[in-house]
Amino acid sequence: MDSPTTNNHNHIHTHHLNGASTISQPSKKPKLLSSSFITPAEIHEEFSHHDPSVARINNGSFGCCPASVIAAQHRSQLHYLRQPDNFYFNELKKGILQSRTIIKDLVNAKHVDEISIVDNATTAAAIVLQHTAWSFHEGTFQKGDVVLMLHYAYGAVKKSMEAYVTRAGGHVIEVPLPFPVASNEEIVREFRKALERGKSEGKRIRLAVIDHVTSMPCVVIPVKELVQICREEGVEKVFIDAAHSIGCVDVDMEEIGADFYTSNLHKWFFCPPSIAFLYTRKIPKGGSELHHPVVSHEYGNGLAVESAWIGTRDYSAQLVVPAALEFVNRFQGGIEGIKKRNHDAVVEMGEMLAQSWGTHLGSPPDMCGSMIMVGLPTSLGIACDDDALGLRVHLREQFGVEVPIYYRPPRDGEVGCVTGYARISHQVYNKVDDYHKFRDAVNQLVNNGFTCALLSG
Amino acid sequence: MPQDDDEDPRNGAVEANDHAHQSPLKKPRLTRPISEPDILQEFSHHQQGFARINNGSFGSCPRSVLSAQNTWHLRFLQQPDEFFFNSLRKGILESRAAVKALINADDVDDVSLVDNATTAAAIVLQQVGRQFADGSFRKNDAVIMFHCAFPAVKKSIGAYIGPAGGSVVEVRLPFPVRSNEEIIAEFKKGLERGKINGGRVRFAMIDHITSMPSVVLPVRELIRVCREEGVDQVFVDGAHSIGSVPVDVKEIDADFYVSNLYKWFFAPPAVAFLHCKNSKGLVDLHHPVVSQEYGKGLALESSWVGNRDYTPQLVVPSILEFVNRFEGGIKGIMKRNHDGVVKMGTMLAESWGTMLGSPPEMCASMIMVGLPSRLCVTSDDDAMSLRTHLRVYHRIEVPTYYQALRNEDRDPKDKDGFITGYVRISRQIYNTDEDYHRLKNAINQILEDGKICSMLPVE
Repeated sequence: MDSPTTNNHNHIHTHHLNGASTISQPSKKPKLLSSSFITPAEIHEEFSHHDPSVARINNGSFGCCPASVIAAQHRSQLHYLRQPDNFYFNELKKGILQSRTIIKDLVNAKHVDEISIVDNATTAAAIVLQHTAWSFHEGTFQKGDVVLMLHYAYGAVKKSMEAYVTRAGGHVIEVPLPFPVASNEEIVREFRKALERGKSEGKRIRLAVIDHVTSMPCVVIPVKELVQICREEGVEKVFIDAAHSIGCVDVDMEEIGADFYTSNLHKWFFCPPSIAFLYTRKIPKGGSELHHPVVSHEYGNGLAVESAWIGTRDYSAQLVVPAALEFVNRFQGGIEGIKKRNHDAVVEMGEMLAQSWGTHLGSPPDMCGSMIMVGLPTSLGIACDDDALGLRVHLREQFGVEVPIYYRPPRDGEVGCVTGYARISHQVYNKVDDYHKFRDAVNQLVNNGFTCALLSG
Repeated sequence: MPQDDDEDPRNGAVEANDHAHQSPLKKPRLTRPISEPDILQEFSHHQQGFARINNGSFGSCPRSVLSAQNTWHLRFLQQPDEFFFNSLRKGILESRAAVKALINADDVDDVSLVDNATTAAAIVLQQVGRQFADGSFRKNDAVIMFHCAFPAVKKSIGAYIGPAGGSVVEVRLPFPVRSNEEIIAEFKKGLERGKINGGRVRFAMIDHITSMPSVVLPVRELIRVCREEGVDQVFVDGAHSIGSVPVDVKEIDADFYVSNLYKWFFAPPAVAFLHCKNSKGLVDLHHPVVSQEYGKGLALESSWVGNRDYTPQLVVPSILEFVNRFEGGIKGIMKRNHDGVVKMGTMLAESWGTMLGSPPEMCASMIMVGLPSRLCVTSDDDAMSLRTHLRVYHRIEVPTYYQALRNEDRDPKDKDGFITGYVRISRQIYNTDEDYHRLKNAINQILEDGKICSMLPVE
C-alpha cells in the first residue's frame, strides 16, 4: 500500500484545462538523512500554485498547503476511489490513528484517546458547547450559570454560544480586552474583573472559552496564566479556542492545563483543508463525555472514534498529517525553527510598515506569533467595519495585496486615533517584496488622498 | 511516473472542458452518446480486474467529475480569500439550483447541501429531539421507523429522541418481500403500536430504498398513511435514491427528504441534498456546526460550516454534464442499471437454485439474491467472512446479509435447506456481465470445494 508519507514518486499534476496553472512536486527527492535543508528554490516550487500576482499576507484565514502534501492527499484520495470498501475496512482507521498519534506527540498530550480529529475549530466549538447545552437541559447546570468568553472571540464561536448556551438558559459574560494592548497584565486584569462579575450573582462559572491567539484583532493571549486563574477561582472547565496556534505559537497540553483545546492544522501546519484536533483531557470513568453531533454507528465509543467516522466523506485531509510532518522536518529546526523565523520576520516587517506609515503595532512583539497588527494611516478614514472590508477588497483588486483589515472603534474621549489595522502574517512562502508591495500600496493611497468614503460611492 | 499519470483522474478530464463555469442545466450538443471505451476510461481509476458490485456503499465518481472537482480545489489553493469572497457562495448556489430542478422542488431555499445522509439525519433528529425536550411533543409520543433503518440513523434516533423523552416504534420489514401491500400492512400495525400509551406518532423515518436488506419501499403510500394518521413530520431517508429511482419531492410530499449524490449520482465523496418542505416555516432547523451564518436558514448555514473543502458541493453542474452524455440522461442510466441488475440477479438465483429477495419492481439498481443454504450463513460474522473471502480470494466486492429464520411459513428455502444469507448486487454504468459471472462461479466453486462460511480463509 502506498503510504501517504512516501515521497518516492515524481508526480507532475498538470492541468490542461484552459491554461490553469500547475501543482508540481519538487523534482528532487527530499534528502531525509542528510544535513541539508529545504532550499529557497524548493520552497518556491512547493508553493508555486499560489497566485504569483498576489502578495499573500493573510495566512491566518485559510492557511496554505505545500505541493508535496497536496500530492500525498491526492494519493490517499486515489487509493480510496480505487477500492473504497477495502480502504474503509483495512486502511482508514489505521491512518486516522496514525495522524492522531503524531498530533498527540506534537502537543504533548498524555494519551492518544485525548486527541480527536475534526474538520475545524468551528466544529470543535460546536461539540464542546453542545455538551454545555445538554448539561443545562439535564439540570446539571442551573439556569443563569455563567459561561465566559472573550469579546474578541471568533464570530462563529459567538454564534455557537448564542445557539447552545444562551438558548439553553446559560448566561454569557464577555471579557472586554484592550486593543492596542501593551502587556499581558492588561488582559489578566480584565479577565479577573469578568470572573468577579460572573461570581457576583452567586452563580457558578461552568465554562470559560478563551482564545489562544485571537483572530481579529490578533493578539496572543496568556492562556497558561488565565487557566491557572480559572482553577483558583473555581471555574469548572476551560476550553481554549486555539484555531491559529499549532505551528504559530507553542502548544503544550500539560503546560497549558486546559480541559478542552482545539487548533486547526490547515492554518499553520501545512495540512490541506480541513483538519483540526480537539484535545479533551481524560476524565474519570463515568464522567460526562463529549459527542460528535453527527451520530454514526460509532456513537458511544468515545469522541475520537466517533469523529473518525461520521458517514461517508473524504477523510484524506485527516490522513496526511505524516506528510505534513515530513514537510516541516525538511526545515532547519523543524516546526520550532519555522515558528521562530516567521515570528522574527513578521515583527520586522510590521515595524518596517509602522515606520513607513507613521503608525504603530497593535501589540508588543512578545504578544504575537506569526501575525501582527499594524496601524494604518488615519488619513485612509476607516470609520466602520464596512470600510475595513471595502479597503481590503480595494487592496486585493487594485493592488494585488491580500491582507485582512480590522476596524477599531475609537474609545470615549479618543480623537484622531488609529482606527484601522492590518493583520499581516508571515509564512515560509513569503518574501520581503510582499510587504514592500503592501507598504507602497498604502503610501500611494495616502498620497492620492484616498479615503474609504470614496469606496461607497 | 506514467502509470500514476494514467491512473490519477485529476490529470485532466476525458474532455477538457472548463466544467466549473457552464450553466447547470444547459445540455451540451449531443452529437453522439458516450461510447463504451469512453465509459471505461471514465472509471479507469477503479481497481482493474476487480468485480465491483457494491456501488451502494460508497458510490463511484467518473474522471471528468473528479477533474472538475480538482479545478475548483486548485482555484481555492491559488487564492483562497478571493475564492471565498467571490466564487464559493455562487458555486454552491448553482449546485443547489441544479438539484432543485432535478428533484422538482419549488424553492431553492428548501434545498441544502450537506456531507451525507448521516449528517442530514442528525440535523432533522436534533430538531425532533428539541420538540420533545420543550414539550411540543409529549413524553408518551412516539417516533416510528423500520427495524432495518441504517445503523447510523438508528443510533442518531437513540441519541436525540430517547434522552429527550420520546419512545421508538420499530416496524419489521417483511423480507423476502412479495408486494408493497405487505410493507404497508406492517407499517400500519406499527402506527397502531405507537398509539398504545395514549400518545401520538409524531415523527416517521421512512427509507426510500432500505440499505440491508435492500428493497424499494412504497414511500408515497406510506406517507399518505402517515398523513391520515396525523403524523406530524415525515423524514424520508433516500440515501440511495437519486440516480437510481426518480425523485420528485413535490409528489412524494415528505417534510424532509435526503439523498446522497455520491452513491448513484456520480458525485465525489461526499455530498447529499436535504430538501425541507417549506423551509421558511421551520424556525428551529439548524446545522449543528454553528457559524456566522446561524439563523439564516439551513441552506446558508450548511454552505459555511467553517473552513473546509467544499469542492464536492460545487460539482453538481459538472455531474449533470456527465450524465447528459448518456442516451436518455439519468433516466436512461437508471433504466439500464435496473434492467441489468434484474437480469444478473435472476441469472445468479437460477445458477444457485435460490431466489430474489424482492420482485423486480421493488428494486432499482440493487437487488438481493439468496445464497445457497449449503454455505451455512448462520451469523453476521459468517456473512462478513464470506464478504472478506470474496474480496481477498476472488477479487469480488459484494456486501452480504444474514437474516435469521423467523419461524414462519415464509422462511425461504432451497433444495438443501433454509436460506439465511443474501448478497446485495448493484449495477452501475461501469459494470459488465462478467462481474456477475465471476460471483456466480466463485460461490459455485466454494460449494464444490465443500466449504461453508465458517471455514473460509479471510487473509
